[in-house]
Parts: sequence; structure tokens; C-alpha cells
Amino acid sequence: MIYSSELIKGTLKTIIMKLLDDNGRMYGYEITQRVKELTAGKIQLTEGALYPTLHALEAEGILTTETEYIGKRVRKYYTLSKQGKAKSAEKINEFADFLNTMKFLLDIKTDIA
Amino acid sequence: MYQLSDQQITFILDDIRRNGIELEDLQLNLLDHICCIIEQELEENGDFEHFYRKTITRFYKNELGEIEEEANYLLQFKHYYAMKKTMLVSGVTSVSMLSFGLILKFLHMPGAAVLMVLGIALFSFLFLPLMMVLKLKEKTERTDKLLVVLAVFSAITMTLGILFKVMFWPGANMLSIVALLNLLFVFLPFYFYNGLRKPETKTNTAISGMLILTGCGLILTLLRAPHSSRAMAVVDTKNYVQDEQLLNKEYQLIKQSSPTAQAWKDPAAGKIYKLCADIKQYVVHLETGVNSIGDDFEAQGLTIGETRVDHYIGETPDVAQNWEALQTLINEYNKRNVSTSISSTIFDAREVRTKEALHGLIRIQRAVLANEMGR
Repeated sequence: MIYSSELIKGTLKTIIMKLLDDNGRMYGYEITQRVKELTAGKIQLTEGALYPTLHALEAEGILTTETEYIGKRVRKYYTLSKQGKAKSAEKINEFADFLNTMKFLLDIKTDIA
Repeated sequence: MYQLSDQQITFILDDIRRNGIELEDLQLNLLDHICCIIEQELEENGDFEHFYRKTITRFYKNELGEIEEEANYLLQFKHYYAMKKTMLVSGVTSVSMLSFGLILKFLHMPGAAVLMVLGIALFSFLFLPLMMVLKLKEKTERTDKLLVVLAVFSAITMTLGILFKVMFWPGANMLSIVALLNLLFVFLPFYFYNGLRKPETKTNTAISGMLILTGCGLILTLLRAPHSSRAMAVVDTKNYVQDEQLLNKEYQLIKQSSPTAQAWKDPAAGKIYKLCADIKQYVVHLETGVNSIGDDFEAQGLTIGETRVDHYIGETPDVAQNWEALQTLINEYNKRNVSTSISSTIFDAREVRTKEALHGLIRIQRAVLANEMGR
């Protein structure tokens, strides 16, 4: 099952921030590949959603960037800023809380014994 | 793994630019991303152009420009939050400043005026404009946007009108009139027309419309009607004419009882009396167009009103000179231990209107006469 883009949209920022928190600096393509790998292909970030979000996070001061030349093209690496690190933890807590609420709201029986 | 040539990279970058991606950052990001995909997924001797065409469609639903639109939208969204925050902070600050200023005003403590002016200025020039910009972003229809602009314009002119009024700055009445006229005859009709047409906004429009009308009505209730103003002007003029006649009678009596009929016993008193008479004549002329008015003033339509005369006095050189000379003379006169000292409150007043000016000058003249009588 591949999740719908509506579901992913609300959590995209959290996903990006968590990945950068764990891996240090990453570039766009790397992020999509890592997510695909970690979720066994269930979550596939679209370019149309990923890059606008990266730009917005950079403008908000959550991400800092550095560029590197790869031959004729330029690669932009993203890193969490100090402010972004605090925000990342906050976002994850918020989402965990949201998960619990949803579980209760939708009456989902967890399969963990 | 496919090896991209410089030529192919230039081709991709040009294609991205041609398809509506203008942000350089975004161009470089997308270029690198596509290159990565091609390098990873295309076989060494695969068809570059065919693969590229197929890959790029994964990036969008209808066209590539969507990505830039989305990025811009998210960036604006960020400003939206900053603006909203500023609006709230400026709102709370201006309301607190105004409230605190009012408390100080009633306790008669310093700083009241500064706080009130800053509070109202912040409200009119930061809070209201920010509110307008944010509301404009929320509204999609052009008529709704126009309504927001009209409402905010009314609110700004109205608050400024009140501020100007309490600070005695010129133009206060004009601002208030513009605000009321705009609210009643431009905004409201348009608001009703727009809101009553749609069933979902009908009730709300009716209720807010009534609230606005009642609000304006209450403000207008506080104002004097033209008829009452005229009646008050007649009473004021009648009082003035009578005061003037009594003064002349007193003057005649003193002059008759005095053996040296023409000369004043105290020359300074004579000078003060004459200066007052000159200034009064100027004020009466300013208000009515004639030098003096008598019992038939009503028939001739000559009444004294509420014109502020202090500006005119200050701006007419010879009258201003007389006004200053009068103050100096009165100060010296009072120092000479006269039995009835002259009260000169009109010189200290923040604003002087016709009625007060004439009344004050007559009082000065009567004090001078009283002293002459006692000598």
C-alpha cells in the first residue's frame, strides 16, 4: 500500500526534519531515496511536494544550506539549524500525540500485543 | 549507470527554465534531482531524451510551474504568520496604551497624552492596515476585497478624527465627516448589496448592518443639530450685545461722574480699555463681516458662532501685536496693587472661540472700569 499524498502532506516537514536530525546533511534526491528505503516503498515523496517544503523550511530558518559543485551542476545540502533541532523534537512529540488521539478517535486496535 | 554529458545537463536546465521555474535555487535543486534519477535508473546505453521526458512528468500533475507556485505559496504563508503575530501584538499594545493613557488622564498624571496619541497612532497606522492586508489575502472575491478596504479606510479616518479632536489639531471635523459619510453612504449600501444577495451571509449582514447604523446613530445623537446650533448662537449673541451695552453704560457713568471728563485717571487703564475694544472689533468683524452689531442682529442674520479665533489673531500681524501688548500691560497693571486685579484666563486657554474671546475682553474692560470708579 502506498499512502496518499494527502496523508503525507501533513507530516512532510516532520519527516524531513527527523531525517536531517539523524543523518546530518542531505540533498533532495537523497531524502526521497532514504524515505523510500526506510518505508519499503510505502512512502514516496514527490518532487512537487518536497522542494517547496525545503524552501519554506529554509526561509523559516529551520534549515541551513551549503552548495557543492558536482561537475557542471550544483548540489544543495540541507542541515538542521539550532532552531530546527528544537523544532524537530517538538514536531515529533506533536505527531506522537496526534497518533494517540487518532488511535482513540478511530478506535484502532494496535496489533502489538 | 548512465553518464550525463555537459550538453545534456544544459539541455535539462534550459528545459526546466522554459517550463516556468524562475527561482534559481529551485532550478538547481530540480536539475540535480533529475540528474540523480537519470544516473541511477537509466542503463548505460539508454535513450536519454525519451527517459528524461518520461521522468519529468513524475514531478507534476499538469505542468512543472506548479512546484514554483507551491514554493511561493508556502513562503507567503510564512509571512502570513509573521504578519498575523505583528497584528495581534500591535493590537494588544495599542489597546493597553490607550487604556493606560485614559487612566492617567483621569488621575491627572503626566504621560496621558503621549500614551493616548501613541496608542491611537499604532492602532491606525499598524494594526488596521495589517488587518486589512490579512483580510485581503483571505478574501477571494473582488467585491469582498473592496469592502475590506472601505471598512478599514472608515475606521482609520474615524480614529484619526477623534485623535485630532482631542489633541486640538486642525482637520479633526473634516476627518470625522469623511469617515461618517464614507461609512454611511459608500460602505454600508455596498455592504448590504453584497451581503443580502447571498443566503449564507444574509442574517449576519443584516445584524452587523444594524449595529453599524446604530453606532453611527449614537455618534450623531451626540452632535448638535444645525437648528440648536443656530438657537445657541442667537442666545450667545444676545448675551454679548447686552454685555456690550452694559459696559458702554458703565463707561458713560464713570466719565460723567469724573471732573476731568475725558482723561483716564490711570493712563494704563485707558490703554488696556482701548486695546480690548480694538481686538473685539476685529473678532466681531471676523465672525460677522461688520465692525459692530446691535439689537437688530437677528434680523440682519449676524450671529457670533464658535469660530476659533486664536489662529486668526496669531496670524494677523497688527492684531497679534495688540494681543501681546495687552498681555504685557495687564501683567504690569496687576502688579501695581490695584483693588480689582484683572483675570486674564483667555491668554492661557488652549483654544479661544469667538464667544469666549469677546466675553473675556469685556471682563477685562469691566475690571479696569471698576478700578477707575474706586479711585
